[in-house]
Amino acid sequence: MLKQLLFKGAESVIYRTERWGLPLVLKWRQGKSYLLKDIDTQLRKSRTNRECKMLTIARTLGVPTPAVYSVDLDKYVILMDFIEGTQFKQLAGQVSQFHLISLSREFGRLIAHLHEGNVVHGDPTTSNVIVDEKSHLWIVDFGLSEMNATTEMKGVDLHLIHRALETTHWNLQEDMLDAMLEGYVAIMKDSAEPILSRMKEIRERGRYH
Amino acid sequence: MKLYCLGIEGTAHSFGAGVVTSDGEVLSNEWDMLKPVQGGIHPREASRHHSELGPRIIKNAVEKAGINFEEVDIIAFSRGPGLGPCLRTTATIARTLSLKLEVPLIDVNHCVAHIEIGCLESSFKDPVTVYVSGGNTQVIAFAGGRFRTFGETLDIAIGNMLDVLGRELGMDFPGGPIIEKEAKKGNEYHNLPYSVKGMDLSYSGMLTAAKRLLSEGVAIPDICYSVQETSFGMLAEISERALAHTKKNELLLTGGVARNDRLTEILSGVAERHEVIFHRVSPSLAGDQGAMIAWNGILLYKAGHQVEVENSHVLPKWRTDDQDILWR
Repeated sequence: MLKQLLFKGAESVIYRTERWGLPLVLKWRQGKSYLLKDIDTQLRKSRTNRECKMLTIARTLGVPTPAVYSVDLDKYVILMDFIEGTQFKQLAGQVSQFHLISLSREFGRLIAHLHEGNVVHGDPTTSNVIVDEKSHLWIVDFGLSEMNATTEMKGVDLHLIHRALETTHWNLQEDMLDAMLEGYVAIMKDSAEPILSRMKEIRERGRYH
Repeated sequence: MKLYCLGIEGTAHSFGAGVVTSDGEVLSNEWDMLKPVQGGIHPREASRHHSELGPRIIKNAVEKAGINFEEVDIIAFSRGPGLGPCLRTTATIARTLSLKLEVPLIDVNHCVAHIEIGCLESSFKDPVTVYVSGGNTQVIAFAGGRFRTFGETLDIAIGNMLDVLGRELGMDFPGGPIIEKEAKKGNEYHNLPYSVKGMDLSYSGMLTAAKRLLSEGVAIPDICYSVQETSFGMLAEISERALAHTKKNELLLTGGVARNDRLTEILSGVAERHEVIFHRVSPSLAGDQGAMIAWNGILLYKAGHQVEVENSHVLPKWRTDDQDILWR
């Protein structure tokens, strides 16, 4: 199988490949010699397993994710759809304000669909959102995703989005955050309130005391 | 003309004074750490420690620098973040010196000072910084005119977690270095909560679980070994996430916990995997000390910044990303 290196991430290497005439992604969680073997093996296994499961669960909740074709738990490899598009992170600075707001609102809606199903993404940065040519959003990288999410876990998810916006999109963060939360509240309705106040509480918690 | 800056640090349990020149030479760096007889750090006791030992430490710093007080051009002090009583004592000393010597007063952010002294030592231009100490656990990088916190602890700092655990295990303060020594004798790994959320992490669950291992009779070296491997593994992961996300090519390790050799080994492995340069700040500049405050004072002064005494109230919750970085 021919493969082309696309990206070396924090915990995996992403290749582009092809099978059955389809463009696919091969995600390999490579071993790390500097970690204790027990920890490394356990993380690679649990995250590979979790990602396969959560990509599918997210889709049943109405969130577009790449379909999984196969998984090898001994080699820590997942074969899934290649999503043709651009990372939201890269696109954010290039589109009109109107378009940016509509994309951010949609991002908030998708996160809300996950939260409604008691799922958190776990790493909801704009690097993990892909915008296709029809301006549809796809959510990827579910290695840190969890089920049976509590208010605390959902609050952390929103806190992480807030954090990602202020570090990566500092000059656009207000517009993006407002629109994202607007989309989030539109779906979550009254159940959004306790999660939003938890997000603010979490933001204060890590600070020096 | 060469300038001499006297930097005064006293955000928590250590008090330090150092003299650094505008050429970046560290001429002296004197400090003393309060060691509580039992329990943790009490802010009032720490501030008393600073007011009692501060003047002597400052005098020593100036003498060791080979200058006299009249040759000091700038007074810099740690304005925050930190413990209120400690900050106020430190600021009072700094204001007094500035008025008495009739030299400019410069307010320095403690966290930013840690990063800049690391950059001075390593000649790094634009690193991802892992700042780990008793009060802070942050992954920071420069973006859009500020040092931005890409990740941090959601509850307790790693140094705090290690010190509290050390106390539970019957060790003296600070527990971190003793845990490091004990961990070398450990070889049996026990599962502990590995809690990474995006680029943030959490250590409170690990502390609880480690205490449980103790009550179950697990040997102390094995507890220390398991805690180090897990907590440092988590730091490795958020560092990797920050490197992959920012695409920067330098990784800097600083703060008191940077003295840990195992953490250094793990992060140098991270740097190798991501093909970036790694530097661990040397022990004398890694912890809380005055030289870093002095050097940041120089950078601020050169950028045209100083603070009036009447506007120099302390900022106990001053965020790393709340300061415009005028010199970069």
